[in-house]
Amino acid sequence: MLLRTLLTASLFSASLIPFNLSAETTVSSSSDEVRSQEEAIFDSVLRIEVSTLNPDYRTPWNTGGLGGGNGTGFLIGPNQILTNAHVVSNARRILVTRRNSASKLAATISFIAHDCDLALLTLDDPSAISDLTPLEIGGMPALDSEVRAIGYPVGGDRLSVTRGIVSRIDFRPYSHSRADSHLVIQVDAAINPGNSGGPAIQGGKIIGVAFQGLTQADNTGYIIPTPVIRRFLTDIEDGTYDQYVDLGATTFPLFNPTMRKALGLKDDGRGVLVTSILPEGPCDGLLEVDDILLTIDGKEIDSAGNINVDGETLVLHEIVERKFAGDTIILDIIRNGSKETVSATLKPLPGSNIRSIVYDKRPEYLIYGGLVFQPLTLNAQSAHRLTDVTTRKLTADYLSEGIFEEKPQIIFLTRIENDELTSTLPRVKGRILNSVNGESVRDMKHLKQLLYESSQPEFTAFELEATHRPLVLPSDEVEAATQRIMARNSITNPFFIQD
Amino acid sequence: MKSPSLSPLGLALSLTFTGISFGSTEATQATSTEPVGEVVAAVIEGLSSETAEDVTKSFVRVNATLQSFNAGQPWQRNSPTSRSGLGTIISKTEILITAEMVANQTYLELRSADNFERVQAEVVAIDYKANLALIKPTKEGSFIDKLPALELGGPAEIGDQATIWQLESTGTPLQTLTTIRSVDTSSTFLPGNSFLTYILRGSMQSASSSFTLPTVRDGKFLGLLTSYDSDDQTSEVIAPEIIATFLRDARDGSYKGFPTLGCATQSIEDLIFRDYLGLSEDSGGLFITRVQEDSPADIAGLEKGDVLLSVDGQRIDRRGYFKHPRYGLLPWTAIIRNDKIVGDEIKLSFFRDGEEKSTEATLAAAPAQLVPSHIHDSPPPFYIKGGLVFQELSRSYLTAFGDKWSTRAPLSLLHALENPTDYEDSRDHIVFLSRVIPTPITVGYDGFGGIVVDSVNDVAIRNINDLAAALQEKPSNGIHKIELAGATPTLYLDAQYSDLIDKNFLEQGFPLLSRIPERPDSLKKQAAQLESKEIESETPAPTPEATDEIAEEKRAS
Repeated sequence: MLLRTLLTASLFSASLIPFNLSAETTVSSSSDEVRSQEEAIFDSVLRIEVSTLNPDYRTPWNTGGLGGGNGTGFLIGPNQILTNAHVVSNARRILVTRRNSASKLAATISFIAHDCDLALLTLDDPSAISDLTPLEIGGMPALDSEVRAIGYPVGGDRLSVTRGIVSRIDFRPYSHSRADSHLVIQVDAAINPGNSGGPAIQGGKIIGVAFQGLTQADNTGYIIPTPVIRRFLTDIEDGTYDQYVDLGATTFPLFNPTMRKALGLKDDGRGVLVTSILPEGPCDGLLEVDDILLTIDGKEIDSAGNINVDGETLVLHEIVERKFAGDTIILDIIRNGSKETVSATLKPLPGSNIRSIVYDKRPEYLIYGGLVFQPLTLNAQSAHRLTDVTTRKLTADYLSEGIFEEKPQIIFLTRIENDELTSTLPRVKGRILNSVNGESVRDMKHLKQLLYESSQPEFTAFELEATHRPLVLPSDEVEAATQRIMARNSITNPFFIQD
Repeated sequence: MKSPSLSPLGLALSLTFTGISFGSTEATQATSTEPVGEVVAAVIEGLSSETAEDVTKSFVRVNATLQSFNAGQPWQRNSPTSRSGLGTIISKTEILITAEMVANQTYLELRSADNFERVQAEVVAIDYKANLALIKPTKEGSFIDKLPALELGGPAEIGDQATIWQLESTGTPLQTLTTIRSVDTSSTFLPGNSFLTYILRGSMQSASSSFTLPTVRDGKFLGLLTSYDSDDQTSEVIAPEIIATFLRDARDGSYKGFPTLGCATQSIEDLIFRDYLGLSEDSGGLFITRVQEDSPADIAGLEKGDVLLSVDGQRIDRRGYFKHPRYGLLPWTAIIRNDKIVGDEIKLSFFRDGEEKSTEATLAAAPAQLVPSHIHDSPPPFYIKGGLVFQELSRSYLTAFGDKWSTRAPLSLLHALENPTDYEDSRDHIVFLSRVIPTPITVGYDGFGGIVVDSVNDVAIRNINDLAAALQEKPSNGIHKIELAGATPTLYLDAQYSDLIDKNFLEQGFPLLSRIPERPDSLKKQAAQLESKEIESETPAPTPEATDEIAEEKRAS
């Protein structure tokens, strides 16, 4: 089933009402009076309108496509508006509107976490919302308890409130990055495009942020629960958002009685088998394949890989989920029949660009005599529809086989631009670049160094994966060709490489 | 370039497998039904030198019942489908038909033109790549014996006229006069195996749903029609040279198959690359991208990076074509797959280190492949233990995943198909866990599939025979240990319990729990010594497609 994020998308429209920077507080006339708590909550839920510029990974030197949409956010502290990362990703302009107000207030992103789909915004002029009460962040709701979702979904311009119950608490994929899974709360309240970033409320407190739904099932809305929100807020306390950390090991459930017997385990429903360890990862050198994990930070792991946290059954990753880079984790294991205890220091997974969609960044590229190179990101892979076995296998093995150690970026030949120099070259495209003149290419910076900062032999030879023969260019004719192609395609720079 | 829209006559040939069930559905799309008015007029005018009586007595209806094996459940066959075509009697015991007509046949019958007489038939020789088969009646004294044989004709010239013959359901012959428009190479059955093909031009009325039709020129047999494109009004006909070579090989009692050179090539139209290699702009040559170990090319001393300049005295241009004295430009593979047979010697010249060198190669049959390109008529090897289903990988297994098989099939298996050299040192075939049939002892393993097997009970697995042998031996601790490739856990099976479950499977109606081909102990070592001897006439060893695939790729570009 497809996950959809709940952002209403609309084409860029020129008829937007100019926003008012003076930001008069139009609904504060009665703010001194005692208002019901409900009204205060409603007021703190804000409409967010975003204009975006979406990078074009097919033609990376182009500006990309203009777009936009709207979502919801809410106040959680003085001038701190929490919303979803996907509401404000690739934003050119963010406008915040208060309930019952026409003023469009300019906002900027303070922190954005694509791996857990959360972002914190601030208004350029905080006084416009200084009268609002920040919402209080609560805990985990109980199964079957009632929640309300508040936001600005499709179907009207005004605030919408829907009710439902907590149907399920689970560990599920977060569709925004296409690579991450975290704790989610499933509710049966109607959650629709535009609800994204809006609060889910129980007992006057936030129990989560509405963020995605299922396209092929009824009444399944998903909410980011408060442990994930709190982790995000803690992470940014030092002024930067780092990332989620990972154990760097994969495990397999130990259901099978013969398997348990062969591994010398009692049939007590405990423990999981370690099946792979990430090279250079937190457990490299500490765990071994075929170790059996018994506990994680003192919590018993059952044979399905679950643990019990505060009465809820959760996957064992949940312990790692709530920790930060540099934190340690204690594992009780069985190795070769004897019990041992291991302490691992957690860190994020490398090479996230290959596995997850990148936002808010200009695509990198390099042009050399008509050859266009780009790093293999999930964005580029989708844009160029790279589905060949070599690329897929490389992506699959990138972490597990430790390819990232040698190649922080995998570079591929996007295409060959037509020119008098390149017109007889074979029409190869979407092939992975292994080396230039025999030297293995580590990343885009290295490629630039090899091609633009060193002298070339008579021919520059590119060895590509699955091509069986090098692609060669006469080095002294390359510059003129690059210039011609840049002029023809309005390309201002032969390369763009992030720092 | 070959038209992409050529379709077989009558019923479309594609058997599609969809979903996990691997159920087969025969496409019943009718093609090539053109308005017939004008065509009939043309046919009447087209009555040339031959009269219907002369040749049509040599045509015999061939009805085949085909049943391929189910890729996902290899112990059973898919639902039967049937095909019919028109065979040509070339001697009392030789009826020529396409391989496509009889591949995976479970029942074969010959019928007289009027459908009144019939006799069962069997396959004498078949070449899936060349798409040719020789069949004969299973008993003597049938109606076939009374029919005359049609003489085989030699090669024709472009522009010559040829007649395509059909039989209406009543037995009335219907002829279509056509002109040989061009000669090319084409894969008419197995993809990536192109052979010399005549392209005939002429509007044809389809009188019967037929997979094969005879083509006649000057009262002699010319070739077998394999497809008709109603848009272009062109037909593809397997050329007489290919038929002659096939018969020469088949008639000596052991069919060896068309020879190969064993190297993959790429054209060098890239002028910069020519300059880089030191080749002149106006000369020809093909860049050798891979030389198969122990192949004729390897023995002749060719290496990756050499540039092949001439084959059997024919210069090859930079697109990979040579000038055929009769047909003009043809892809170079036609030199080898035309009138050459296994054992023939050919001269080769190539460019290396700035100079032209020459050598000689003795052509050989294609060696066995790690992942066979097809398994027609050879039931897929498999082994079931306690619910775990192990199979040997073939291309047919992968294509059974449907139209999008190249993205839907398991990645590790696709990788083995594309990169056989990564596996060939340690394996003769890819043995993999194809699925898990849920049983009490597979709890926790359910859903596993498409994973390559490394070893069983600490014995490395080179083929399914190794796996069967390892699982038939009683493990010392009573537990079978199955190590899988990648980050998959080692699986354990209780030996005694799994034997019991196997017995249970048989009671539940599984016809068999294994199909293990007979093989010498060490296939790889002995293959080199036996080489041509061990290839049976029914199942010629599959060839590597590399040479032709790349040739195709080049032509398409």
